[in-house]
Amino acid sequence: MAIAPATPKSWYLPTKPHKFCPGCGHGIVLKALGENIDELGIQNDIIFGCDIGCSLLAWDFFACDSTQTHHGRVTPVMVGLKRSRPELLTVGYMGDGGGYSIGSQHLLNAAVRNETITLILVNNTNYGMTGGQMSPTTLPGQVTETTPLGRDTAITGYPTKGPEFLSTLTSDGAYIARATVSKYKQLKRFMRNALRNQIEGNGFSFLEVLATCPTNWRTNAQQTWNFLEDEIEKEFRVGEMKTPFGKGDKEVAVD
Amino acid sequence: MLKEMEVISASMERAVFNIFPAYCKGCGLCTEKCPNNTLKWSDKLGAYGTPTVIPRDEDSCIACMICAMVCPDCAIVIERKKRTK
Repeated sequence: MAIAPATPKSWYLPTKPHKFCPGCGHGIVLKALGENIDELGIQNDIIFGCDIGCSLLAWDFFACDSTQTHHGRVTPVMVGLKRSRPELLTVGYMGDGGGYSIGSQHLLNAAVRNETITLILVNNTNYGMTGGQMSPTTLPGQVTETTPLGRDTAITGYPTKGPEFLSTLTSDGAYIARATVSKYKQLKRFMRNALRNQIEGNGFSFLEVLATCPTNWRTNAQQTWNFLEDEIEKEFRVGEMKTPFGKGDKEVAVD
Repeated sequence: MLKEMEVISASMERAVFNIFPAYCKGCGLCTEKCPNNTLKWSDKLGAYGTPTVIPRDEDSCIACMICAMVCPDCAIVIERKKRTK
């Protein structure tokens, strides 16, 4: 038998290769999500919602029910779907612009209410789709289209640390973690925990993933990994901030 | 039924390296993540007319499969070989 690419079974193959730029971290995150959907066998129960930004290019990514919302509204749409059809699993997928700037009020209130939904937020420290402007998670000193001299913290403040503030807002049963695309096995394990938390009905699940954006960082492959591993992962601590699963899964992981 | 895709295979000491040029966008994340620098650019062009990758020799691959793991497009498949002693 001829060998086939190792794409997850839940991927919708007629749309592949997908629309993301070469080297984009979204592909790695969605591969981990696809493999987890396959392994948990939840392809028929899942509703995948994507937000505005680069993350909306995932609208035809999976062979499962999908919806697309604008400007951070994926969180309330997922909450509404979950409340009307509690047997479904709702997975919201957004970027740092949609989640932390324009949609932060939705994210925050869903976390306070401890809604039983799963949210995956891909953090690539800029607004990718509109050409690489400064986002809430841009590192101090990082050069973007709107901060040509580097982000000045005296004017624009410091990067938003989503999992940290969400872990103080949520109550028991929430799962809050941050992963990175440079450690794939850890990313896959955290994503599995985030989905499992919703399947068990414990509460709010949130996973932030640090991702690459070679197009807007203007980096080659080597500089891309160096920027992600040496600078972004120093600013944003990778690990599980809050977990209802007890100490067994709690390791703050170095892969 | 999906039609069969073109695949380029390279048999090495510990693994068979397969790459699907229709999926490879030539981002280079795999070449940089490889712990032994096994991968190099090849003449074969990929999805966006960018070069794909190919192993440079037969014995430096340790079949760790990191290249397949970090590939955002699932273009690489590594088949491990059984050790013959």
